[in-house]
Amino acid sequence: MSRRRLRFGGLAICLVFAAALVTALTATAGQEAAGHKGQNYKIFLVPKLIGVNVFTENGKGAKEAAKELGDTVIYNGPTEAVAAKQVPFINTAAQQQADAIIISANDPNAVAPALKRAAARGAKIVSYDGDVARDARTIFVSPPSASAIGQFQVEWLGSQIGYKGEIAILSATPTAANQNTWIKFMKAALKKPKYRGMKLVKIAYGNDNPTDSAKETQALLQGYPNLKGIISPTTVGVAAAAQVLQQERKCNAVALTGLGLPNEMRKYIKAGCAKKVGLWNERDFGYLAAYVAHYVLDGKLTGKIGQTFKAGRLGKRTVVVSDGNRPVVVLGDPLVFTKANVDKFNF
Amino acid sequence: MRTALLFAARLLARWEVLLVIAIIGVGIWSTTLSPFFFVRANLLDLLTPYAFIGLMAFGLAFVVIAGEIDISVASILAVSVVCFSQFYDAGLNVWLALLAGLAVATGLGCINGVLVGIFDLPSLAITLGTLAAYQGLAYVILPGEGVAAFPESVTKFGGGYWHVELPIALIVLVVFAVALGFVLHATRFGRYLYTIGSNREAARFAGVPVARVRVTVFALSGFMAGIAGIVYLGYFGSARADAGQGSLLDVVTAVVLGGVDIFGGSGSMLGVFLALVLVAELRNGMQLANISGDTQNIVIGVLLLTAIVLGNLTRAIQARGLPSIPRRKEVIGNATASAGLAIEPETEVKGR
Repeated sequence: MSRRRLRFGGLAICLVFAAALVTALTATAGQEAAGHKGQNYKIFLVPKLIGVNVFTENGKGAKEAAKELGDTVIYNGPTEAVAAKQVPFINTAAQQQADAIIISANDPNAVAPALKRAAARGAKIVSYDGDVARDARTIFVSPPSASAIGQFQVEWLGSQIGYKGEIAILSATPTAANQNTWIKFMKAALKKPKYRGMKLVKIAYGNDNPTDSAKETQALLQGYPNLKGIISPTTVGVAAAAQVLQQERKCNAVALTGLGLPNEMRKYIKAGCAKKVGLWNERDFGYLAAYVAHYVLDGKLTGKIGQTFKAGRLGKRTVVVSDGNRPVVVLGDPLVFTKANVDKFNF
Repeated sequence: MRTALLFAARLLARWEVLLVIAIIGVGIWSTTLSPFFFVRANLLDLLTPYAFIGLMAFGLAFVVIAGEIDISVASILAVSVVCFSQFYDAGLNVWLALLAGLAVATGLGCINGVLVGIFDLPSLAITLGTLAAYQGLAYVILPGEGVAAFPESVTKFGGGYWHVELPIALIVLVVFAVALGFVLHATRFGRYLYTIGSNREAARFAGVPVARVRVTVFALSGFMAGIAGIVYLGYFGSARADAGQGSLLDVVTAVVLGGVDIFGGSGSMLGVFLALVLVAELRNGMQLANISGDTQNIVIGVLLLTAIVLGNLTRAIQARGLPSIPRRKEVIGNATASAGLAIEPETEVKGR
């Protein structure tokens, strides 16, 4: 009998614990919600995962836009970048009669059924960053277009090495769709007269893992003694490559560029190991996505190519076909971080 | 009068009854948190996103009751899902592809079973190894972006609705809970599990075919991961090598919170089912109140920890010899003495 009684007491304690925790936490959540009086639309922003700088910035930008427009943005998502964990957030957003859901998908297909169910209940769907199946959303908000991301990186590297010499690409996994698209556009850019002197000798894959990326960088340095530059279009790869260049004291011999976070790259940029690194402004990205969602709800944007709207402080934007994908709203040219400006960014 | 009171007290002290009380409590509390909780559509759909987790938990419960652990279930799910999609893509009939996926899952479970049951290796180490190996295998079989677009005849098992509102995944879940509950609580195989989980040596002396049962139980766990894979495919409509990733915590939570003794020998199917309902309800309630995903994890984690700690505490007190329930060692004596299939060791008392 004693065991059962203990168990009874046990569960009771469990529940009290859980209830106390959540009551305390909802108290704060409630206050936050009460802050948005006179709301217009209720918009849910579901990132790939929470607790990551870039997505937190997206959320801040979206809330900034919502404030200007009189909407409410609720930013919440899973703690792991897993599609199966995004779906309950989509479901509960729909259940709360969301006017719109903005999502960056972990798997374009796995979230589609849930998004379609939400749409059937009246929610408008806008995807950003990680697109979803085309029939599951109204508009995709893209960072710079894939072709621009590819071309810009070739230019950033070319300008550092006088547009000639052997170069290599350090990518993530061989199967990452966005990486492969960007590399395709880099190769296209390298055929232009301006970049003909640059010779792509190797595409290496660091699997978006710091250890593998560092190993691959070392292999590049050893295998290609005449290597003049590396492009790494992934935040993990570019940081690992910069670290290797610094350790091997090759910062002057081999130039490095790619897509990197200012906070991760700051010390390397300042040390001259990655003189130019780019990315887009993540806060503006969230801001733009929220504007798009608002105008979709207003009926101003239906996904027809050529529609234009004013995205607050970002100015005029147009619905376009971008690299074969449609309908897309593009954020704009990427930001370039150099020694001169890197301290202005905090993400 | 006294017996009636005693009966009431006993009923109340059952873990399952407490779970029901908890479910009602959380329900009331969620209703006060959000006006969208106590709505028929929401309540019916509560379990759908967690159905695949529940199916894996049912299989794992068998393993844990037999005194072992299988942490490779989510990886088995991934392999079976990608195998199905590859078979289907290769032009195999969709039902045959499903069967093939299930067979693969059962086979992978069997490998675990043989390593643990026949070679007598520790299940935690073995399934930790196969967790990684099977996950890798899934990536080898289907690298990259994955496959979508499956016929509705298959996806309805996970994403379909019967009469508009009743999710078919819920029906699948309940059918398996009942069927597996029957196997666990009303068959000889089920009794063997409790016996082995309570004391393997004693079970061996009592004539229980220990090795065979242990292999079978891992195969069953693999099979259930395969079934979970079918529901997963239906609900998410996508087959990728990372299917099921990140679900292990929820699976183990359902089993342990369901009152299954992590050291084996006790537990019930009903408990696991109710624990799944509790976890799903808690998550749903918190999500409807827009509580951050981090905080949700803390709450679920604390719930799980408390359940384990208290389960252990009771065991420790028991081991010091408090009266009323016979201790394990005495049971062993019994079991060896009666040496037959009719042994009803302590498990009956403390378990169900």
